[in-house]
Amino acid sequence: MSRNTIRTLISRQKWIAVVLATIVLAAVLSLASPVFLTLSNFQAILVQSSVTAIMAVGMTFIILTAGIDISVGAILFLTSALFAQLMLDTENYLIAFVVTIVCATGLGALNGWLVVYFRVSPLITTLATYSIYRGAAIHLTGAQNIPVPREMGFLGNGRILGVPVPILIMATIVIIGVYMLSRTRLGVYARAIGNSERSAKETNLPVGRVTIAVYAFSGLVTGIAALILLARVGGLQSGIGIGIEFTVIAAVILGGTKLTGGSGTVIGSVIGAVFLVLIDNGLNLMNASPYIYDVVRGSVLLAAVAIDRYSAMRRHSALEAQKAARMA
Amino acid sequence: MQSATKFLKSYPALAIIAVLLTGFSLLSPFFLTIGNVEAMLGANAVVLIAAVGMTVVFLAGGIDLSISTVISVSAVASGLVMAATDNVALGAATAVIVGFGFGALNGLLIGYFRMTPFITTMATGLIARGLAFVFSSGIAVRGTPYWMLDFGFMVWFGIPAVMVIALLIVILSGTAMARTTWGRHVMLVGSNEAAARFSGINVPFTTFSVYLFAGTLGGVAGFISIANLGNAIPGVGDTLLLIIIGAVVLGGTGMTGGEGSVERTILGVAILAMLTNGLNLIGIPFYDQLIIQGILIFLGTWMAMKLGTRRES
Repeated sequence: MSRNTIRTLISRQKWIAVVLATIVLAAVLSLASPVFLTLSNFQAILVQSSVTAIMAVGMTFIILTAGIDISVGAILFLTSALFAQLMLDTENYLIAFVVTIVCATGLGALNGWLVVYFRVSPLITTLATYSIYRGAAIHLTGAQNIPVPREMGFLGNGRILGVPVPILIMATIVIIGVYMLSRTRLGVYARAIGNSERSAKETNLPVGRVTIAVYAFSGLVTGIAALILLARVGGLQSGIGIGIEFTVIAAVILGGTKLTGGSGTVIGSVIGAVFLVLIDNGLNLMNASPYIYDVVRGSVLLAAVAIDRYSAMRRHSALEAQKAARMA
Repeated sequence: MQSATKFLKSYPALAIIAVLLTGFSLLSPFFLTIGNVEAMLGANAVVLIAAVGMTVVFLAGGIDLSISTVISVSAVASGLVMAATDNVALGAATAVIVGFGFGALNGLLIGYFRMTPFITTMATGLIARGLAFVFSSGIAVRGTPYWMLDFGFMVWFGIPAVMVIALLIVILSGTAMARTTWGRHVMLVGSNEAAARFSGINVPFTTFSVYLFAGTLGGVAGFISIANLGNAIPGVGDTLLLIIIGAVVLGGTGMTGGEGSVERTILGVAILAMLTNGLNLIGIPFYDQLIIQGILIFLGTWMAMKLGTRRES
């Protein structure tokens, strides 16, 4: 494959760029550390990425509609709080699971409904609900840390047929996400809304319902991510979800989804999430200060967007040159 | 009567202020005491200065998510310089230069390189936050000069000195936006970028300049935060982003650009300042304050949008 073919491939399928970057980073890390290329480390990396990757699947759909959800970290925290509190009060797994998942979906749907009916921009709306959901969570638990029962650990550290449970859950959600995006009307409509909300409305697509549905779906998967997170850390802690919205959005953008909507893939977002964990892994191997992580993440994100922008500018000028040549 | 309704329609924030003012002064006898008002004014200078920067960015149709953590990193840098040299002027210069640097970076990438404001400033904001924690090793910077501590309590013309500085910045920025060519260019770029380009406005430079402006004000806000808190705190900006954006939109400046003004942002800052202060006085816990604050920001923005003459998205 010539360099040009690769370049065209990347410009058509943006998520391939993050796959290549991930492979290169993995290669470098495997040279730096002998334990890197072991199956158990590979599994550990996927388990570590599971929460952000699952949330990134939902966020991909929202960003595809040219929306954004800043409140996902607060939804993660509120649903964790709800589950922990329900387990404490009722000790009934069925009730706790069902209520948590229904509420998570409801919180997402509320975001979508507010965006659709009040027409305040998604950024302001979800910034406001971020504050509301976070406040509600602390109100609910009285600002206390609540442990979850030991058996919950199965969701975080258990294995089925040798595969860690978080990886299985993540894989299921990714498959559902890929299917929804490519094979269902919801996926097609979401893209259409992101490309042009006006044309979507004029062609009588159910813009309102689709918008609410994508926010609700994001809430649903965030609720599932909350269960895995609770299981992995052993209980509710006050810091859960703070800043995770930016990691999730970064994963989606690194995966090649356009922030302005209309184009993107679920797979890209998931690889983006894994890529971010690989960076942490590498920094960890180098014994870097935990404070430098943000600097590196920010720089990587900035570099990725800049490279994408640079290649778009080059493509644009190449097209202009072709046009000029044809005119001459 | 009609003109009063019209006035309220163009400034819906005033209605919210009136309600908060009456409500809290009835609920707490301390709310309208000189001491409490002074405390409110002093505590909100940082937010007001940063919100002025954010307003100008909004007016140009952009957004600067990095401004809150630029406050942190410039506070830390300034704190370290002051601890080492005991020179306040040098500290102030450091804060401004750091803010200027981040503003210039954002401006270059967004104005000249045409990168998306949201993702660009999210990334530079992460970098700023990381640097604030790296430089300070994650703890408050010690060794603030005594003058800075006094400065935090100084009162000029009956108003806390830090708020006098913030108000001066509002007046200067407001005048610049309303009376200079630059201000008109910013408004036009925000309301219709294509038209701005066709009428010969240097759009890349105008965009560059608003981020430079916001970053620099982030630096000033960082310096002021040291006077307020007594130390440079690396996490000082972490919780401010919601309040800064909330204040701008509550004041009535929209995110779509071209509509609103710097002066309006004073109203937005006043609403959130009174809300926090009043709820504290009547003993509402912070988590319930978060809920009320979120609802108010959302409904206030919606009201401003509904009542204002602002066009649909």
